Amino acid sequence: MADYRKMWTDLGMDLEKHDLLCEALPGAFGEVFLSQENRPEGMDYFNFVVAEIHGVRPAELVEHKKKGGKVFGTFCVYVPDEVIIAAGAIATGLCGGSQFWVPDGERVLPANTCPLIKASVGARLGRTCPFFRLADVYIGETTCDGKKKAWEILQQEVPVHVMDLPQMKRERDIAAWAGEVRLLMNRVEEVTGNRVTPETLAESIKQINHKRKALARLYNARKSSPVPISGRDALLVSQIAFYDDPARFSAQVNALCDELDERISKGEGVFPSDAPRIMVTGTPMAIPNWKLHHIIETCGAPVVVEETCTGVRYFENFVDESKVDLDGQVQALAERYMRINCACFTPNTGRIDDILRLVKEYKADGVIDCSLQFCTLYSTESHLVQQALKKAGIPVMHLETDYSEQDTGQIRTRVQAFLEMLRK
Amino acid sequence: MLPVGERINYDCYILFPNHHEGLRLHKELKAVGIKCTIAPPPRAATSFCGISLLVAEDLIEPARQVIDRCGVKIEGIARIPREASTSGGK
Repeated sequence: MADYRKMWTDLGMDLEKHDLLCEALPGAFGEVFLSQENRPEGMDYFNFVVAEIHGVRPAELVEHKKKGGKVFGTFCVYVPDEVIIAAGAIATGLCGGSQFWVPDGERVLPANTCPLIKASVGARLGRTCPFFRLADVYIGETTCDGKKKAWEILQQEVPVHVMDLPQMKRERDIAAWAGEVRLLMNRVEEVTGNRVTPETLAESIKQINHKRKALARLYNARKSSPVPISGRDALLVSQIAFYDDPARFSAQVNALCDELDERISKGEGVFPSDAPRIMVTGTPMAIPNWKLHHIIETCGAPVVVEETCTGVRYFENFVDESKVDLDGQVQALAERYMRINCACFTPNTGRIDDILRLVKEYKADGVIDCSLQFCTLYSTESHLVQQALKKAGIPVMHLETDYSEQDTGQIRTRVQAFLEMLRK
Repeated sequence: MLPVGERINYDCYILFPNHHEGLRLHKELKAVGIKCTIAPPPRAATSFCGISLLVAEDLIEPARQVIDRCGVKIEGIARIPREASTSGGK
């Protein structure tokens, strides 16, 4: 079998501890994914990425660095990858979706910090994530208080560039975000030694729009009944979008969508057409967090759409490709990214509008609003989300959970009761 | 313990020295219509990371013929009870 131990050793990873993580992956993956019936064959590529998740892609990043290239680690959908790619660098997501990393995070963070932040910091400090080892600079942002303080801790390990995300959506805020995109560009140019030009930025804008279109096509297929792909598989594709080479990823998603189109034309699905269709909204689900989708779908209901950062927030809305100078392109980037509706904004009525729209588009029978524990923003916003859904007559259930398995039985019981109500 | 007379189903995981060989065999098996799935191999099969090809027990002989014909390098074939391979042994 592939032996990446030398690479991991060279990256300064804790091999003994990392082996424990490697041991857990196959069982978890088998239980969640391989146990499914009639999976699309196009999922094989994404299985491959997971099987090699700390091998093939990190090896590509190592090769890139050997040639003098730089790697930027990102945590959030507000960071414009286009700017990083335009300077000849690689943007990659960072680890943060497993309970495995939480204890190392809790060594320096309060226990009542959200698991995503604890796992991210833990993955770095525990030396068990190759992406955290490979990134030359981490790009943080001010989307929540926990993250803001986490950057200060991570800064002791690796340089962190923090983008100051405005918390309102007035014209002046969009202008301020354009200023932040410019500052990121300056930093990326300084680190890589490469200039971002209108030509390179135009090319990267097209490349990332292409990726968004591929994901939009995948999600569009999920509007069909019966649904041709499970929510678990679609979530896995979205999660891998943060790590993979954008051009290769887009090609593989489009190949998967060709297969899904064929299924749709034959009326073939992975759940009965009368199974209750569920929309998930709330906080992101970083790989390998498949907990909620697995529970919902093994209770007999497909997840047909996610209004999350590992869902539609990642790919909806395109960057205007018509701009030919840097000022125009930066403005276009700022406008597109400021259309993402995160709970860190006040007010954030755009998210409620999105949720109501998506329920109709995807013909969802019910909504599960799920927040990671201690995410004050999404948990607080849940009140307004539930209020709007109830007013529209759409069944909704709110959950709070973390990455551990301790509450799995309890959540399963609640989901079963919710689905029972939907089936009546 | 299984009830008397109940048959244990096995999955076969084809193991490779590297992912290039695995992807090559995946393509060859698909070309001749032998169903296979790329999967991380269960710990019962190997302690290394990487890809394996999951093939149903009744298709492993035709798969062996393809391996021999194409000269794909493999590191072995692990036969694992299905329950253990898809549940992590839980």
